[in-house]
Amino acid sequence: MTRLAWRIIGVLALSLTPAEREVALGDLIESRTAAWCSLREIVGLVARRQLQRLNSWRPWVAIFCLALPASFVLMGTSVSVSSTIQRMRWQMVATHDVLNCLSIAFLLACASWSAGFVVSSISHKTLWLTGFSCLLPCLFCFFRFRIESLPRLSLFLFVLPAVLGVWQGIRTMRIRLSIAAALAIAMTMWMAPIWSRRFWLCDAALLWPSWYIVATAYRRAATKKSAAA
Amino acid sequence: MLGEFEYLLITAAANLGENAYGAAMRESIMQATGRNCSIGALYTTLDRLEAKGLVRTWMAEGTPQRGGRSRRMVCVTPAGRAAARSFYSSIIRISNRAPWAVHDTEDAG
Repeated sequence: MTRLAWRIIGVLALSLTPAEREVALGDLIESRTAAWCSLREIVGLVARRQLQRLNSWRPWVAIFCLALPASFVLMGTSVSVSSTIQRMRWQMVATHDVLNCLSIAFLLACASWSAGFVVSSISHKTLWLTGFSCLLPCLFCFFRFRIESLPRLSLFLFVLPAVLGVWQGIRTMRIRLSIAAALAIAMTMWMAPIWSRRFWLCDAALLWPSWYIVATAYRRAATKKSAAA
Repeated sequence: MLGEFEYLLITAAANLGENAYGAAMRESIMQATGRNCSIGALYTTLDRLEAKGLVRTWMAEGTPQRGGRSRRMVCVTPAGRAAARSFYSSIIRISNRAPWAVHDTEDAG
């Protein structure tokens, strides 16, 4: 049991900075604190550090301006794409319907990826909380989903590109300004016809991450230019 | 003005002098107060004190007792001493006529 407790302590301590991990574990060893008491101490330290991160605006923006609204819209878009694909399997559809479905699928992939990328860029240390706030609407919709012809998992077409975006955001992948701008302009143009029919504020949650990526890429390019000069 | 726990930390660090680091300060506080002092409270409060400029911390080499893991040494700054002195004076002044302070004086007498 003691060995198990120390293993858990080791895993939990990974969320601390390397310096603080060294110091905290060293203190526990030196004071010969019992394994389960040490576990309680480390849980307390980790919890305090996580709560401290909530003092910043970043996790709140990630949750309330991105994760919550975007998950609802992305699930709706996922169902729209799935139902069109389902319809195409059983009946002949017009070319413009196929193109429309492809454009929505493209928009879904880009929006999910950029949302995931921005979430991990602005608050990668509180990803667990943002993930949880995305999980809640997903579970809500999963249990209330009532379209017989579609599997429930069709709600989650957005998850894979979003996870890819999160992963690349964690690795602080640099995106060139030209690519970021092309992505943002393409998404805005694709969304323009949708907005001409109806304007939902939630739709903005899909668009702003792509422009945020443009802004950060622009700032980085400007900083690089001024450093070179 | 300092908080109670902040005052305890500064005082423990000042008392320990060059040997002030996390585990030693924790031990000292637990002995003085008879209460548990969690490492979470200790290190988050140390960060706050350092941000206020009341203490200075740095990493030092570990000892065999702690498996070679490094220590976070603490030194009280002049501003920290002033803040602790001010807190101590306030406590003494406000406790002057408190029943328990009178009792202590009578007991001592």
